[in-house]
Amino acid sequence: MSDPILEITGLNKSFGPVHVLHDVDLTVRAGEVTALVGDNGAGKSTLVKCIAGIHPTDSGRVAFNGGPVSINGPRDAADLGIEVVYQDLALADNLDIVQNMFLGRERGSGWLLDEASMEKAARDTLASLSVRTVKSVRTPVASLSGGQRQTVAIAKSVLWESKVVLLDEPTAALGVAQTRQVLDLVRRLAEQGLGVVLISHNMADVFEVADRIATLYLGRMVAQVPTRDVTHAQVVELITAGRSGDLGLARPESATV
Amino acid sequence: MTSTPTAGARPDEVRRHNRTALLRRLHVAGPTTRAALATELGLNRSTIKALVDGLAESGVVEERLPRARSGAGRPSLLVLPQAHAAVVVAVDIRVDQVAIAVVGLGGEMLGRNSWNLHGRASEPDEVITHVIESTQVLAADLGVPTIGVGVSVPGVVRRSDGFVHEAPNLRWSRLPLGERLSAALGVPVRVANDAEIAALAEHLRGAARGSLDAVYISADIGVGGGVISDGVTLRGTAGYLGELGHMVVDHRGRPCYCGSRGCWETEVGELALCRALRLPEGTPRGAVVAELRALTTPRQIADVLGEFREFLTVGLVNIVNVFGPELVVLGDLFTALPPPLIADLGAEVSRRSLVSRAVGGTRVMASTMGSDVKLIGAAELAFEPVLDSV
Repeated sequence: MSDPILEITGLNKSFGPVHVLHDVDLTVRAGEVTALVGDNGAGKSTLVKCIAGIHPTDSGRVAFNGGPVSINGPRDAADLGIEVVYQDLALADNLDIVQNMFLGRERGSGWLLDEASMEKAARDTLASLSVRTVKSVRTPVASLSGGQRQTVAIAKSVLWESKVVLLDEPTAALGVAQTRQVLDLVRRLAEQGLGVVLISHNMADVFEVADRIATLYLGRMVAQVPTRDVTHAQVVELITAGRSGDLGLARPESATV
Repeated sequence: MTSTPTAGARPDEVRRHNRTALLRRLHVAGPTTRAALATELGLNRSTIKALVDGLAESGVVEERLPRARSGAGRPSLLVLPQAHAAVVVAVDIRVDQVAIAVVGLGGEMLGRNSWNLHGRASEPDEVITHVIESTQVLAADLGVPTIGVGVSVPGVVRRSDGFVHEAPNLRWSRLPLGERLSAALGVPVRVANDAEIAALAEHLRGAARGSLDAVYISADIGVGGGVISDGVTLRGTAGYLGELGHMVVDHRGRPCYCGSRGCWETEVGELALCRALRLPEGTPRGAVVAELRALTTPRQIADVLGEFREFLTVGLVNIVNVFGPELVVLGDLFTALPPPLIADLGAEVSRRSLVSRAVGGTRVMASTMGSDVKLIGAAELAFEPVLDSV
């Protein structure tokens, strides 16, 4: 069994006097969907932004594929192969699918773009994910549905051969059927051997796609457990109270806060 | 067509037969010009025109001028099947998850969903309820009525009514799956063994297109096989053929739940791969794939998968000797095996199999249809009985 693709230990982060993340540990394994759950303000998005290099961290170690690395900016994360997909469908409306997937990293020489090769790569990527819901890769993104836009955003991470994909509530802005399509894609991403971190508030979704659940409670990582070992009720308890049975934080009488 | 040689076919029967043949051709092969349809179906051009006009009027096909011209003269119109004209639901039940897709005429997937089967979620009632609910959500999103359902099950299934005799890895037995789904959804439901369905998909749209004799090997927790012989699916009594995974490859081997010992499944299935890779039982599929991808050098492959490769070869030699296929397609988990390992299998089988040498070397290759192969096959299964009523 090889090392986890991404392992974070003892990560701390403060915004001024507010200590947001306390000694957070997170392990992401290749080929698994790790769901990151927690109440509003528990620090989920902050953690993802720290991993993606958007926020500098105060302390903590990051190991990628077994070796220590330091992430000092979004470029470092991208170079390692860490890609982030946000909930607000961050694509350029006026561009088509190919242009969006290659935005800022266009192929070509000098003034001439290699449209044919980019179009083919985009089409092959969508085909490798079995995305058969998009008619043409030259469709402007503005005319796509929410689910299709998220599909394009996720496919982008496959095109760039990412190793780890962090999805920050990718289905928050979507309807029921569209949510299903995106979650199905998330699972297929993991089946291709990528490490996937999924932030979600919806317990049913989490149980349907995740292999492992990591729970944050007031900035602390209280439990990382395989999905099949826990029930809905236990996870809800972990989210709201930080403990459930012998999972999670120690009981208050024995804990030193 | 129902007519027998003693009774002459009436013109409307002939017309109906031709219409179905044309639709099937468009469904499987995609957009085709009128001229090509006439040549391939052996029909008069005016017959084709009448049929296509009828289909176009009811919105099943659309006609367009082809972009690239071929040959001299007026270009023949391109006939395109319209995905939304007829949609079916394909369901792929696996040991650890269920996938479902809405598939339109021509094979385009118009919507999809999947979910894990942890703990109670794999009980028959839970799965059936979830499938029905999911079908309704997807169909409502499209706004097109479903005309049929095809279901793939990893188990022994009676073809006539979709009765699941036994699906051991799911711990299902004696489940009238076909009846229960069709009662709830109100459309014809066809259920079949997963490997048989995958073989159908490979035969119609995948690597085995154009091969008359091919075998598809599916490999999840369980291992199974679908056999295409002389262009049709080999089924055995009541459709129970296909448990290639329970062919004994080591009579002193590990006990199998089926009652035997050393079944092929216990040596090359997902659990055997997990053992070889030193992963705990129940490791998610993606993690197994990631570990297999990490094996790059011939040395690593031989160290980790040496014994596995031997058992895989032994089983393949048996299969080739029994069925004499020209092509063996390896699916599911086997598609993640290191490419050099798969590339050598064909030659190794030839060295050990008379039949392979006699047919000029049976080809052994990985499926190119990915994890969707059973969904695609299940859709074809659903389309089969309903294409003539579209």
